Amino acid sequence: MSEVKAAQYGYEVPTDYMEETAAGGGLAGHLRRNRLAYIGGALLLAVGIGIRIYQQMMSFSVGMDFYEPEFQTYWMPLLYGEVIVLGSIMVLGSIYMWMTREKDAASITPEVELKRYFTLLGVFTVLGVWAALIGALAVESDAAWHQVAIRDTDFTPTHIVIFYFSLPLLTAILIPTFIWAHTRIPAFMNRISVPFLGVVAGIFMIMPNYGFNEWGHTFFYAEELFAAPIHWGFVVLGWSLFFLGPLAVQLIQRMAQLISVVTTGRDCMIADR
Amino acid sequence: MANIALPAPRITDASGHYDLSILDNPRARSYYRRFDGILIIVLFSFLALGISIHYALTAGDWDYWIDWRDRRWWPLVTPLSLMMFIGGFVYPIWKAFRLPVIATAVTTLLCLVSWVSRYFNFGQFTDFPLSFTFPSTYIGLGVIFDSVLIMTRSLLISAIVGPFLFGALIWPLNWPLFAASKVPVEYSGTLVSVADLMGYQYIRTTTPEYLRIIEESTLRTFGGSVTPLTAVFSAFVAVIGYSLFLLLGAALYNFAGRYARRII
Repeated sequence: MSEVKAAQYGYEVPTDYMEETAAGGGLAGHLRRNRLAYIGGALLLAVGIGIRIYQQMMSFSVGMDFYEPEFQTYWMPLLYGEVIVLGSIMVLGSIYMWMTREKDAASITPEVELKRYFTLLGVFTVLGVWAALIGALAVESDAAWHQVAIRDTDFTPTHIVIFYFSLPLLTAILIPTFIWAHTRIPAFMNRISVPFLGVVAGIFMIMPNYGFNEWGHTFFYAEELFAAPIHWGFVVLGWSLFFLGPLAVQLIQRMAQLISVVTTGRDCMIADR
Repeated sequence: MANIALPAPRITDASGHYDLSILDNPRARSYYRRFDGILIIVLFSFLALGISIHYALTAGDWDYWIDWRDRRWWPLVTPLSLMMFIGGFVYPIWKAFRLPVIATAVTTLLCLVSWVSRYFNFGQFTDFPLSFTFPSTYIGLGVIFDSVLIMTRSLLISAIVGPFLFGALIWPLNWPLFAASKVPVEYSGTLVSVADLMGYQYIRTTTPEYLRIIEESTLRTFGGSVTPLTAVFSAFVAVIGYSLFLLLGAALYNFAGRYARRII
């Protein structure tokens, strides 16, 4: 978009840093601008497919009984590794985001702020890839497993994949992201986005429900009904995704202002509410 | 931060507060295209996860197996489950973006993830045949629901008519998929359906026959009025379920969709 063309539309367009032009045009520019989403999404896609293949190969061969030595060899190290890796990402990531927080909000230019919004959306895109993988490959695998396995033992292969990795991964990334957004994006600084908090807290609170679920499983030899009350906690907490609608509105309200300022030099908000 | 006023603590109706002439600017349009693309991916991905969890844990059993898809419980449970989830999203997406797409999006995404899941999880992982575990379809109902919303442009009217049609038409929409499995056959001197026969052959170790909450009655018939009676009741239940979750979505948007003061 040349300045001449901009002038044709009657706007005085700022000529300083523009992310769109800095990254270049065409496919290469698109990939550069969205590299976080593509690289992160590809990485999680590979991890997701890898662990699903492992589940496919190892569940019925060495994963039927927690008390078998094979289970201790092939499944428990995976469980320990998941807990260590995800715990480290969440704790260290949160500490890093807080320690490197923005000290001077007034120095953040609209261009930088807009770029940070797109970074935030990039992280959401990566998590979206993971969310789709969980929805398609993980959720019903547990249902299918329980309809052919005669009973649960203390740990279950599908639970090790879903409860101790797939869903906690969302939390492990969302909590540092929540801190990052609230320490670097002016609209979130010094106040808290309730819908953002709702999404993060809801997904986090699924983890205590794992405890309830696993405790409940100790009562049964079999999981008779997948839609049993013992699972309803997951459903209620899954409804925290309803906060995505208000969160999207919060994001677009501010981004609309920023896009207007960055591209035309004026605020598009007409009335102060 | 320049001189841009921060957004108000509460979300208000965005329409009418913005100068939309900015959209004439190609650079702005370029940003918006990028934003739209990302938002669609993010929203649809999380919708897929949400409906997958919600549906699996509220209606899953009735939709996993063809012999569970009876005339009495399956047409009652599944529309209620879907309407609850759809209801929670309709309000913000309609109020802020005027997009009547949620029902179509949710039902289509459910169809996509269900097919992938049934193939990989029930087929490849646990060796059930797809003819026994294929997912039902709800896309047509989603289209009808969204059509009611866009034609009436009223959340109130669409909350009555849309879910009613959603609940009432679920069986006729799926009938072509199920018909073959409902053919009566004689098995060891007993009249059963093909779906029942498949259920006997493909044993699910954790669903013994006495736990199935389907077709509870002393006499099972292949005709009668069970289906239309269930359809009407299901339609009313869907209206109630949808309305409650529409209110929940509205509450989250209007009261929880805000910035709170930091407490630490």
